[in-house]
Amino acid sequence: MLELSNLTKTYAGFEFGPVDATVDDEVLAVLGPSGSGKTTLLSVIAGIVAPDSGSVSLNGRALGGRSLEDRRTGLVFQDGALFPHLTARENIGYAATSDDRIDELATLLEIRDVLDRRPATLSGGEKQRVALARTLAADPDALLLDEPLSSLDAPIRRRLRSELHALFDSLDIPVVYVTHDQRTATALGDRIAIFRDGTIEQIGPPSTVLREPETRFVATFTGNENLFEGVAAGDATVRVGDIELRTNEHIPAESAVTVCLHPSRIRLCDPSARPADGSAVHPTNVIRGTVDDWLNEGTEYRVHVNAAGTSLALVTTVRPPAFDHLAIDAGAPVQVAIPPQAIHLIPHADAEF
Amino acid sequence: MFPAKSRTDSGLGRFDWLSITFVLGAVLLCYYLLPLVSLVVSQPPDVVLRRITQPDVISATTTSVVSASTSALVATVFGLPLAYWLARADGQIKTVVTALVVLPLVLPPIVSGMVLLTIVGPETLVGRLAAANGLPLTRSVAGVVLAQTFVSSPFVVVTAKAAFESVDRSLEYASRSLGKSRFTTFRRVTLPLAWPGILAGVTLAFARSIGEFGATIMLAYYPRTMPVQIWVSFTTLGLDNAFPAAVVLVGIAVATLVVLNALGQNPLE
Repeated sequence: MLELSNLTKTYAGFEFGPVDATVDDEVLAVLGPSGSGKTTLLSVIAGIVAPDSGSVSLNGRALGGRSLEDRRTGLVFQDGALFPHLTARENIGYAATSDDRIDELATLLEIRDVLDRRPATLSGGEKQRVALARTLAADPDALLLDEPLSSLDAPIRRRLRSELHALFDSLDIPVVYVTHDQRTATALGDRIAIFRDGTIEQIGPPSTVLREPETRFVATFTGNENLFEGVAAGDATVRVGDIELRTNEHIPAESAVTVCLHPSRIRLCDPSARPADGSAVHPTNVIRGTVDDWLNEGTEYRVHVNAAGTSLALVTTVRPPAFDHLAIDAGAPVQVAIPPQAIHLIPHADAEF
Repeated sequence: MFPAKSRTDSGLGRFDWLSITFVLGAVLLCYYLLPLVSLVVSQPPDVVLRRITQPDVISATTTSVVSASTSALVATVFGLPLAYWLARADGQIKTVVTALVVLPLVLPPIVSGMVLLTIVGPETLVGRLAAANGLPLTRSVAGVVLAQTFVSSPFVVVTAKAAFESVDRSLEYASRSLGKSRFTTFRRVTLPLAWPGILAGVTLAFARSIGEFGATIMLAYYPRTMPVQIWVSFTTLGLDNAFPAAVVLVGIAVATLVVLNALGQNPLE
């Protein structure tokens, strides 16, 4: 278990912390924008940077004051940081105790064919596999990864992401995975910690963080583009401008809230059709609107809709079959169905209950 | 990546801009090359051979090679740690130390010799103590080494510093996070990667030491090094007598460039 307690660090005008977190034998995905302190977190845990205050312990062993080489925290860098003058085999052998261990890791990470090649001749994905094998060869007590997939092409990134998922499952050690990519964080993390300005803004399982962001920043950073200021109207309803929406969340009446409608959870319907009976959508949450614009993003379409006149400028994602079925185009009329469970309310910080 | 040469560049006439710059630069190239060629051509091989086999030239060559090798070694032993420290340190002190390291490069060599005499001269405390213990620091090979090390060691420090800086620090962090000590990391990662650059610096220091004259003549007129021997020959017997030894020095200079280019790390490029 990796325990971080009250970690702080100030340098070059940047204030990191205080950060408190506990990472069991699980994957903690650290997600945040550039300069939010993600890499500083890894540097402090690994011992590259000494914290101004606070402590790090690993399996009950205090790491404070221990040098990098005494921490047993395996570190995987963004570019792999492979030793360029050594072959892949020699890189792994740098930390491995036997040839058998090299072969075992090479098999696990599917790099047997490239073992005799130098890093300069390896692809980005191969480099990361070798880097991972080298780190695992040292048999670390915790694994720290600093955006290892960020420089890879999308197809390789997707493939390696699913392989990493399986690999992490097989490791019974704490894994801290730093990334700025929400998809990677949700795919790999048992929990996600959202970093902002050096501190953890929210930490929790991916589904919770995505569906129930605690702040506007978290909502925005996790891809929620539909944020509106509203007022709780009591009886599980919220008012946004002239519109009243049914929700599953109970907030005291007249409380100011930020209304989050995640694009992937809003549905577009045929404007002539009534909502099907038994639909989870409350009749009041079906709003007439007009398509403003749309963008083909490959696997899905991102559609901008002006609902209820122009009161709600929404973004929603639509799968290709539905897109074709609804004949979506700029100016086309649509109905927007917003299920109550798709509505998340963030009370304003200064609200009084 | 953009091509090094654009299509329109190659489409221009013979007197394009690049050609004009080359023609102007060629004047300077001729200025470098002609005197060297003239020196070598003006000295028939048999004359050079006869002169460089004379005892005074052999003695000077031996002194130069021994002292320059020793200087390069001393500069490496003490210069590498300083170069590594400079490459990895932060803060204002690094700027100050770098300026101090470069000082001997910009100081006139004869002034370097003068300042050294204030420390190791025969009348100084250090000079007297060393002489009393059988190691005179002036008029000796030790004096030659001191003068050469002073003027040539910055080449090792500056070049090795750049070589160390070119080694990505994340490689060192990676090595240490794999359980290797700082020393093992230096020996197995940093040094092998910086080695070509370090070797280039040592070669430059050797070449600078071989050609050192100003500081050397202040500290050690005897035993004569090659530059001192050339100067003595020139002032006593004339230019013709000094030329053959000069040809040898030109040969060493050319060999230095060959070594640097073979290393692929010519810091002067």
